[in-house]
Amino acid sequence: MRCLLFSIICGLLFCCISDYRHLQAAQPDAVCTDRIAPLHIETAWYDASIDVMNNHISGLLLIKDMPDGSHRIVFTNEVGVTFFDFGFSAGSFKVHSILSQLDKKPVVETLRKDFELIIGLPFQKASFNRYLAGDEIYFGVTQKKETAYFITSKDCASLQRLELGTKRKRKVSVRMPGSGYPSPDRFELEHHTFNMKINLKRIPKE
Amino acid sequence: MKKRMYSNFTLSISAKPWLLAFGLFVIVSGQTFSQYAGYSAVADLPSFRKEFSSKSASVTSIQSSFTQEKVLTALTEKIASTGSFWFKRSNKVRIEYVKPFTYLVVINGDKILVRDEQNENRFNTKSNKMFQQVNRIMVDCVQGTILESKDFSTRVFENDRAYLMEMTPSEKTLRGLFQTIVLTVDKRDYSANTIEMNEPSGDKTTILFTDKKLNTQISDAVFAF
Repeated sequence: MRCLLFSIICGLLFCCISDYRHLQAAQPDAVCTDRIAPLHIETAWYDASIDVMNNHISGLLLIKDMPDGSHRIVFTNEVGVTFFDFGFSAGSFKVHSILSQLDKKPVVETLRKDFELIIGLPFQKASFNRYLAGDEIYFGVTQKKETAYFITSKDCASLQRLELGTKRKRKVSVRMPGSGYPSPDRFELEHHTFNMKINLKRIPKE
Repeated sequence: MKKRMYSNFTLSISAKPWLLAFGLFVIVSGQTFSQYAGYSAVADLPSFRKEFSSKSASVTSIQSSFTQEKVLTALTEKIASTGSFWFKRSNKVRIEYVKPFTYLVVINGDKILVRDEQNENRFNTKSNKMFQQVNRIMVDCVQGTILESKDFSTRVFENDRAYLMEMTPSEKTLRGLFQTIVLTVDKRDYSANTIEMNEPSGDKTTILFTDKKLNTQISDAVFAF
């Protein structure tokens, strides 16, 4: 009985600990954000894989920077069949096409948020909250119940990763090994609340 | 009100010859545009089917290179890939993409192996309707049995060197994937020259087969997994 009580208390304490408890609010730094915020991504094809709950899909993903500043993201399989075609612009999202097997609201919403983070859509809003956290600096934009962060090194020399989280819970992180924005070589996106990963590797232009 | 109805009626009478002419133009031009440049319709379809079936049955194996191009029409973007293709009668296909990514599909009867840069998956095509259908299309296209498929309505055209088969899916799942699949076949040996997959969105993927070697010995190990 004591053991059960102890476990419950530990469980309650654990679930109440915020992933962002270590962030310390600091003054904004416009010089850093102007230089490093992931505000622009160039058109590129990526070799892509999506792993969800032990299901694996691979294919080719196009991120297209449209002349009007919006973005299109098209995912096809290697043989050429289009899985989905999404349109993104500030304040709007459009499903141009999607395979009926993928056309489920939770799937579309998850992919929408993931790709919005990758193309830096949340960071188009000009003001960022700045937080210090050890060797890193977090720049956050709050949107409804979630906050999107881009995280830099302490000296603002490099962009470390992107994150999306609630007040307490880190939900998604994106690492960009290799070259950074506006032409990232790779994206490694991971969900922390369920088992899902997206890996993108840029295909060099011929 | 009456006056307005009358004037509409007058308009419809006076406009009728023009509408008729326009309608005829649409019908005639529609017929013209729905055909393919340099090709004319095959007149005797039943005898073509018979000949196509028997001639393509004589192709027991194909070894070939291929170039694939996917065109996103609305986005004016395209991506090309290259690789190698093997077919052995019956129901054995190996498609190996080597550039700019590596990807392997091996079909051996009802079994299918898919290997990309990170993962390897083995399926039974019977467990997945879409895979089963796409698998069947691929095999039917290369072994010359596509005209017998009940999943498509087919129109056939020809020129001096090739037959062109325009296949329109009649089945619901396939209609969501393809508007038409256009297959061209070399008249000399009845082997596939190109496969063009046209999607409902207007995007298309074209596979061009080159350096074809027909009826050579291909080991079963090529399709083993």
